[in-house]
Amino acid sequence: MRTPSIHLPGPLRRLLIAALAASCAAVAHAQGATELQNLERELNGLGDRIQRLQDLTDVEIVQDSYGYYVDKAQWHNLADLFAQDATLEIGGKGVFLGRARVFEYMHIGLGKLGPHDGSLIDHQQFQCLPTINPDGVTAHVRCIAFVMSSGGWGHNYYEDEFVKVNGVWQFKKLHGPFNMYAGYKVGWLDNTILNTYPEKWPPWPDLPPTVIYLTYPNYYIEPFHYPNPVTGKPMPPPSPRAGGEAFGR
Amino acid sequence: MFRPSKAAAPALGLLLGLAVCVSGFAGNDAARLAMLKSRIQGIAAETAYVEAITKIQRLGRAFGYYTDKGYFGEAADLFADDGTFQWGVDGVYKGKARIRELLTRHGGGSMKDGPGLPFGRLNLRMQLQPVVTVAADGRSAHARWREWGLLGQYKQWADWGDAVIEDDYVKENDVWKIAARRYYLNFEAPYQGGWAALKPVSGDWRSAVARDFPADAPAPVQYQPFPAVYLPPYDYAGTLRAIQSRPPIVPPRRPDDALGRLEALADAKELQLARAHSVRALENLQAMYGYYIDKGQWKQAASLFSHDGTYEFGQGGVYVGNAHIERALSLMGPQGLEAGQLNNYVMVQPIINVSDDNRTAKARWRSDVQLARAGQGRWGGGVYENEYVNDKGTWKFSKLHYYVTFWGDYDQGWVAKPFAMDPPSTAVPPDRPPTQVYQSFPKLQIVPYHYNNPVSGKPDPGEYE
Repeated sequence: MRTPSIHLPGPLRRLLIAALAASCAAVAHAQGATELQNLERELNGLGDRIQRLQDLTDVEIVQDSYGYYVDKAQWHNLADLFAQDATLEIGGKGVFLGRARVFEYMHIGLGKLGPHDGSLIDHQQFQCLPTINPDGVTAHVRCIAFVMSSGGWGHNYYEDEFVKVNGVWQFKKLHGPFNMYAGYKVGWLDNTILNTYPEKWPPWPDLPPTVIYLTYPNYYIEPFHYPNPVTGKPMPPPSPRAGGEAFGR
Repeated sequence: MFRPSKAAAPALGLLLGLAVCVSGFAGNDAARLAMLKSRIQGIAAETAYVEAITKIQRLGRAFGYYTDKGYFGEAADLFADDGTFQWGVDGVYKGKARIRELLTRHGGGSMKDGPGLPFGRLNLRMQLQPVVTVAADGRSAHARWREWGLLGQYKQWADWGDAVIEDDYVKENDVWKIAARRYYLNFEAPYQGGWAALKPVSGDWRSAVARDFPADAPAPVQYQPFPAVYLPPYDYAGTLRAIQSRPPIVPPRRPDDALGRLEALADAKELQLARAHSVRALENLQAMYGYYIDKGQWKQAASLFSHDGTYEFGQGGVYVGNAHIERALSLMGPQGLEAGQLNNYVMVQPIINVSDDNRTAKARWRSDVQLARAGQGRWGGGVYENEYVNDKGTWKFSKLHYYVTFWGDYDQGWVAKPFAMDPPSTAVPPDRPPTQVYQSFPKLQIVPYHYNNPVSGKPDPGEYE
C-alpha cells in the first residue's frame, strides 16, 4: 500500500510547524493545568476520606482514655477530655453542665483523686462504635463500660457526642445509661442494684434526668445514634410489652 | 526496525505534537505524571481497604448491640439474603428468616411481639477483639471475633458465655454484609462454680434450641466444648496480610513546580493513610496475639515479635528474642494447652499511636483474663503498654509489657481472695529483672501512660490525694 504524502514548500512547512508548536504550547499549558487541578481535586477528595479514618481512631482514643482515667480516679485528666461547655449524664443522676461540673460529679460524687488501695473501679471500654458526621467536626460513639470493681459487676452503655475544636476531638456530651449492676457473690442472678437518682448522693444535678428508666432486671434500650448498617433504616421502637412477663406470651 | 519515510516525518512530528497537546506533558514530566496517577490509584485502593475494615468492625459491633436488647430482626438484617449461621455443633441455618428465629430462640425473644426481651432476661453478648482482613478485590472479607456473654433469667439462672466467631463478609451494592457466620461456642457456664466446674460433655451436646428448631444442614465440624480444648480454624492462617500496612515512609524532596507540589500533596496523604492503615494492622496484631495465647499457640505468638523484641508479664522479668519469649510463654502450659485449661486473654480498649514516619508505634490495651486449670478458676485484669516496629511493612511487637492490676480466685472473687504476682521463673529465668517493682491488688498504682492527655496535651500529672 502506498503511503500518502503531503508536499509543502519548505518555508510554508516551517511556518506551519512553528504555528502548530505555538498553539500547542498554549493548549498544552491549559490542558496540563486542568489535568493537575483534577488530580488535586481527586487527591483532596481521598484526603477527606483518609481524615475520616483518622477521626474514627482519634474519637475512640478520647472515649478509651476516659475509661483509663476512671480506673484510677484521675478526675483532672478526665475532666480535661471535655469541651468547656460539655454535658455529662450518668445513670439516673441528672445532667451536669460544663467541664467544672464534670469534675465535681466525679470528685464530690465518686471519691478522692487517685487510686486507693483496696478500691478497684475498672471501667473497661468495650465494643466502641464511632460515627463521624458528614460535617467532619461532630461525631457520635456507642460504647460499653464493663465494670469490674470491688463491688462486683457493671454493664453500661454510652451514647456520646464529640466535637472537634481547633483540630482536637473532645467530649461534647457524655450520656451513660446504666444497664446492669450486680454484686460478686451471685452475680446478676439476684440482688441487682437499681439505677442512681439525683438525691442519691451529692452533688445535685444542674438539670433533671433526660430519661427515667429502670435497670436490669427491667428492660430499657438506649436509642442507637445510627441506622441499621445494612438496611439503612432507623431503629424501630421496642415492643411496648418488652420488659414485662407477658412479652412473647 | 520501524523507519519512517522522509515524507512521513512531518506527519509523525505532528502526531507527537498532538500527543503532547493531549497530555500536556513531555519527557520527564510525562513520566512523573504517570507515576503520580498510579500513586493516586494506589491511595484510592488502600483508602477503600481501610474503610472496609472499619465498616466490618462496625457491622460486628452493631450485631452485639442488637442482640443485647432483643433486636433479633435487626441483627438478622446484617446478613446477606442467603447468609448462613453455623451455631456450635447444632448445624447451619440458612437465610435471614431462619437466622432471625435462631437468634430469637437463643436470646429469649419473641417472634410475635417484635423487638425486646421479657422481664428479667439478660442476653448481653459483647463482640470483642476483631481480626479483619479484606480480599484483594475488595468484595469479600473475613474476621475473627470473641463473644463474651452475660446471660440469664432473673432469680432463675445466670451464665457466662464464651465463643469465637469466624465470619465471611460480602460487599453487595456497596454495602458490607455477613455472608457466613461460624459461631464456635466454647462454653455457657453457670455463674455459681463458673467454667472451672464444667464437666466434659459426652455424646450429643447440641443445644435445646437445636432439638426444637433443627438446623437446615449439619455442622461441617464436630468438636467438644470446654473443658476440652478446641481451636477454631483461623481465617488468617498462613498469611500476614492482617498485620501489614506500608513500610516506613521518608517523604522525598519534591521539585518546586506545579507537579512537584502535587507530588508533595500525594506524599502527605499517603503518609496519613499509611498511619491510619497501621492502626488497623496493629489492632489485628494485638488481637491475633490474644487468640494464639488463648489456645497455647506459643510458637505462633512468639513469631509476632521482632527478633530483638522483649516480653514482660507482671513481675516475671524481661525475656528477649523469639526463642526465649516462646519458652517464657510456655510457662503458662503445654503447647495447645491441656484438657481443662482455660487461658483467655481478652484484648480491648486500644489507644494506638503510630510514629510520624510510620516506623514504630506504641499502644495501651486492657486485658481481662479468664483462667482455669485442674478445676480451679481465676480472674485477672491488667493493662498493656506495648511498642511495635514496622518491619518492611509487617508490624511486630518490639516490646510487650503487661502490668497486672489484679488476680482473683473465681469462687471468692478478687476482693476476698486476691493472688500476688508470680516472681521470676527459676525454670526459665528471664534475661533481665522486672523493669518496675510493684504489687497488684489490693495495692493499686497508675500504669504509666505512653501518651499525653489526648485533649489537653498535658502529661499525666499523677493525681493523688
